[in-house]
Amino acid sequence: MQHMEFKVKWGMVIDLDKCTGCGACSIACRAENNIPPMQDASNKLRTTDWMNIYELSNGKKFPDLEIAYLPRPCMQCGKPSCSTVCPVVATTKDEEGGIVSQVYPRCIGCRYCMAACPYHARYFNWFDPIWPEGMEKTLTPYVSARPRGVVEKCTFCHHRFNAAKEQARMSGADPLDLPEDAYIPACAEVCPTGAIVFGNLKNPEHRVAKLAASKYAFRLLARLGTDPQVYYYSKRDWVRQLGDNYLQKELKGGEHV
Amino acid sequence: MGLDRRSFISLVAGGVVGSLATPVVWKTLDDVSIWSQNWPWIPRLKYGEETLLPSLCKLGTDAYGVQVKLVAGHPVAAYGNPEHPLSRGGICPLGAASVQLLYSPSRVRSPKKRVGNSFEDISWEEAEALLAEQLKSAGKDVALVSGDDTGTAAEVLAGLVAALGSQQAYFMPSEGAAAAAALKLLGGDGLVGYDLEGADYVLLLGADALGAWGTTLRNAKAFADGRERAVRVVYVGPAMTATAAVADAWIPCTPGTEGVVAMGLANMILERRSPSKVAGLAEFRKQAAGFTPDAVATRSGVAAETLLGLAKELLAAGKPLVVPGTTAAQGLAVSDAAAALAVNVLLDRINMPGGVMVLPWGPKVVAAAPDKKAMMGRDVVGYLAAVAAGNAPAPKVLLVHAANPAYALPDLKTAQTALDKAGFVVSFSSFMDETAAQADLILPDSLTYERYDDAYTPYGSGQANYTMAAPILKQPLFATKAAADVALGVASKLGADLGFASFEDVLKAKAEALGLDFEAAATGSVWLGTEFAVQQLDLAKVQAPASAATAADLTLVPVANLKIGSPKVATPPFGTNAISPRELQGKDMVVAMNAATASKLGVRAGDAVTLSGAGGECRARVRIFEGVVDGAVMAPLGLGHTAWDAFSRGKGANVFQILGTQADVAGFTRFATAPVGVRKA
Ligand code: SF4
Repeated sequence: MQHMEFKVKWGMVIDLDKCTGCGACSIACRAENNIPPMQDASNKLRTTDWMNIYELSNGKKFPDLEIAYLPRPCMQCGKPSCSTVCPVVATTKDEEGGIVSQVYPRCIGCRYCMAACPYHARYFNWFDPIWPEGMEKTLTPYVSARPRGVVEKCTFCHHRFNAAKEQARMSGADPLDLPEDAYIPACAEVCPTGAIVFGNLKNPEHRVAKLAASKYAFRLLARLGTDPQVYYYSKRDWVRQLGDNYLQKELKGGEHV
Repeated sequence: MGLDRRSFISLVAGGVVGSLATPVVWKTLDDVSIWSQNWPWIPRLKYGEETLLPSLCKLGTDAYGVQVKLVAGHPVAAYGNPEHPLSRGGICPLGAASVQLLYSPSRVRSPKKRVGNSFEDISWEEAEALLAEQLKSAGKDVALVSGDDTGTAAEVLAGLVAALGSQQAYFMPSEGAAAAAALKLLGGDGLVGYDLEGADYVLLLGADALGAWGTTLRNAKAFADGRERAVRVVYVGPAMTATAAVADAWIPCTPGTEGVVAMGLANMILERRSPSKVAGLAEFRKQAAGFTPDAVATRSGVAAETLLGLAKELLAAGKPLVVPGTTAAQGLAVSDAAAALAVNVLLDRINMPGGVMVLPWGPKVVAAAPDKKAMMGRDVVGYLAAVAAGNAPAPKVLLVHAANPAYALPDLKTAQTALDKAGFVVSFSSFMDETAAQADLILPDSLTYERYDDAYTPYGSGQANYTMAAPILKQPLFATKAAADVALGVASKLGADLGFASFEDVLKAKAEALGLDFEAAATGSVWLGTEFAVQQLDLAKVQAPASAATAADLTLVPVANLKIGSPKVATPPFGTNAISPRELQGKDMVVAMNAATASKLGVRAGDAVTLSGAGGECRARVRIFEGVVDGAVMAPLGLGHTAWDAFSRGKGANVFQILGTQADVAGFTRFATAPVGVRKA
């Protein structure tokens, strides 16, 4: 697998004990990244949501049931499965900061990356994007509209990273040593409970680094070895256990049943 | 020159290898994919100078400060406003979709008058002349229903109605009105607020504080900060709401018995601590004595030891706070609110840090307008029921402002009958909502980003506050006008001058009345009140709460959900994706019940069912969810629109259609839960 180490590793810690599943992050992401609205979005296999929210449950009966909401952006894997399979180098992880890029004009729509991504974080455009009349005027200048035949995914609002670096350069600061709030994706910015914390995982001063080091932090499907840069946090054991899809009564190691 | 097979093959093979080595193939592929993505119908981005302007989001029942990002003067996105005390950088799902909502296909883009079964576009001149003519011939028989209980626009419209000689000005139902009525019942006076930031223990009796109740975003920030300080949050209610999911504990109770739980707690607290200087304590003690742990357990399903645990936690906490409310964020029983207030009184939590704060009503500047206190004390549900039944005269002209009563009222059939009886319905809606669709005249209001707007102390605020928003667009996008400006214009035409030439002037007066600099207010500075009126509360006046719908085997628990919409707006175009299959599947609303309830009813997961209630029936699909108490059916509010646009129309059912009402104390109506029937469709 492609693997590079970076001095700066942007990452997220999402506190699942604070997320109420309100959906504001997902809608703010849509507006920020010019994802067109969908009239019928009830079939979630056909929708595009860079930030998708899942409901987890401890599976118990009333009144012992507990639930948690899990927002799922692209994990910006340290060892991405998606970029290694891309035949046209449209998606790579080679930039300082460790964000997995996605170059739309290069994408040939083969969708190998979608099959490879274990987190279902990638979306294919089956149709050209359509905004209701006039609404295209609300497109942000940050992300070009993607045509049919192209795969897309969360970029940690990469344009905001660029803007923050630019800002730093202009003020004579080091663009590789951004302060904690200089760069933050739209979802993390608007989250009402502040459940989404963002920063440089390699900077021990940043809250993400501290939270990611906590014993309550975990990553999704950690044992696949994708080394995600998105961490989750929960003090509830059952929530952490759901982070990896262990089979019931499964055998240890690579034994076959 | 001959070419034998061998050299031919090596030529081809060499060519293949060569073509792979040369960048031409890859470059061509790259170019092809670039050019095949370069179609004229894919919108281009517009670049330009970026600015952030403060404004307000009033799309939910809450009102809070946002920041709108403009690129070359055009709005592109809304964010929370870190400087605003009710947002602190957070945004709700409706606010996040608010900029795109400006271009919603359902926006009414010019005034319209009814001609037979359809509408005809008319000019503003004609529209305003028609309004004046109708009002003139109606005389005193005019009524107003407004959904804007924080804004001064409603004051202007109510001023118009009052200047014409009518007392019939109403707000849509709100928890703030029920809480204020409860305070009044106990002899107090003011708006009820909660100092969530200061409390060290919060007991939510039904209030889905992190869902759609009260100052939702501020509640969320207070909750998150509280978590750092180990503030314990306990949620009591019939369903696993957004709040229950993250609270430190969820204590399930039978729907509509939160008031009973409050009385049980009062009883237990009184057994352990006798507060001094509480008026009416002896009488209250007698009332509370009836709520023994066993009696409360029977009625509410909350076990005696659980109740005792809560009482002990309240007594042990330094700054406990008890907050009444509902999952529907409306329809709260005044008696339930009064019972919760009584518990706060016993714990000496009125106007104390971290307690229940009594906030001033705020200044009135339109002299002719009724006091907000009076308007909030009237019950629109009861009024419309009286009109429908012929017990009150139907208004000749009904003005509907920032509200959608043809969709968002309980006992909807009755409300609709009343609307039908009204002689001439004028809707000021910005959108083709259900009320606009059946109105006789639509005078489309500009949206907040296109005009002046303001908000005074949304319900739940711990401190009085006032936010003004200046228009962030130089002009409305379409031929719309601010409803308050239309009202001022028609008032002066009818010789009922309200004393102001424009809504902007009204807001100048409001800023002055609050001692606030208008320019500063219009550019985002927020006024905060520091006065808390001294209260003389008398617990003898508490009326013991009845359980809602005690006789019902099965109870409907409607849950407000800002992802889906609010009483004011349907799902915005940018909101459809956030609705989950737990709420909507295909075109079917999803209702949740636990496995025990489902097996009693003989239904299974995924079954199509018919729900029947007071006003009629609707269709839904069953979800088995163990986060609902036995005998309850949880249903999302905000679906089932019949007007609006393709983003919300025809999706699921409108729960208001089957939501019955129950008479409550102080002339109010309770409807946060109601009996329901479920059978296989
Ligand atoms: S989450 Fe999926 S799309 Fe994102 S980097 Fe990992 S493999 Fe690639």
